[in-house]
Amino acid sequence: MNYRDEPESDTPAASTTAARIQPDRIWLVLARRGYDEPLKQVGTIEADDPDLASVYARSIYDEFAWVEMVIVPRETMVTVIAS
Amino acid sequence: MPASPTSRAKGATRASESLAGLIARLADNKYFLGRRYAEWCSSAPTLESSVAAAAMAQDELGHARALYPVLKTLLPGSALEADPETRSAWVRFSMLDRDFAGWPDFIAANFLLDTALSIVFEAAQTSTFEPLAGRSRKVLQEERNHWLHGEGWVRRLARDDTAARAALLASLRATWDEVLCWFGPAGKSDPLAAEGVLDATADELRARFLARVAPLITTAKLAMPVAATARGGWRLTRSLPWDRWDTATWRLREEGAGDVE
Repeated sequence: MNYRDEPESDTPAASTTAARIQPDRIWLVLARRGYDEPLKQVGTIEADDPDLASVYARSIYDEFAWVEMVIVPRETMVTVIAS
Repeated sequence: MPASPTSRAKGATRASESLAGLIARLADNKYFLGRRYAEWCSSAPTLESSVAAAAMAQDELGHARALYPVLKTLLPGSALEADPETRSAWVRFSMLDRDFAGWPDFIAANFLLDTALSIVFEAAQTSTFEPLAGRSRKVLQEERNHWLHGEGWVRRLARDDTAARAALLASLRATWDEVLCWFGPAGKSDPLAAEGVLDATADELRARFLARVAPLITTAKLAMPVAATARGGWRLTRSLPWDRWDTATWRLREEGAGDVE
């Protein structure tokens, strides 16, 4: 059994398996470098639960020594003015 | 009766050998865990987990790099064996001998092996051997994310009644006995605990490990040989294969390997 998404991902069975373990939630990552700055969105990550999302946010967005980083599930955003 | 100088010297030698053995198996397992994690930096199931694999690989290799110099001080006449570039007498889990066969192997190693190592580092935070105590505190700061990663993925793979769940279970079962034996032989005689190198005996370390991993195994309904006790603890429902335990290599002999003269 192999869940690497290459090269088996060409096969329908492998694609189905890979799809099954894809995360189903998108999280916004917000961070700030100083206490006098507001939190700003620095990116997004995909993860199923907040613990994994936190691990991913830390490892991916580690380009600065942030003083604060938070994650927010994207589906909790409420549109006030639509584009 | 007070111990004679000869018996004290033998005791000190035994403790010193045990300490060198402990540092060697911590360093080697960290080193190979880092290498195995690194092999998944570009092929994990998601981009996020690939980056996490890279970060965890860096952490593990860093922990190993911090431990080999300590091993060198304990093996003054064997400098080659204290350097991962020239070392040959590796002491590592069988699962780390070769590439992981798939992502479930990665997660089983992350969840079981990495956690077992952390249990020992936790027991060494107030060690009488200060070089280990200081490094243990630093290692544990970085290991929290590894635990969250392993725990999250075990929950994720176990969630579905699919091939992913079956593959995870097979990977966990493949290393379960060895990781439990790895804390050391059962019994009260434990030189590392007696000397204060670790704050617990092998049996106590095993109990701490079960207390860490068994709750998730149970809630995820993964059929592993562990069950809750009436007093809130955990017990193994199958005895460990101590007849296959090899104290020289600190791992289980393959089944049937010890039967041939």
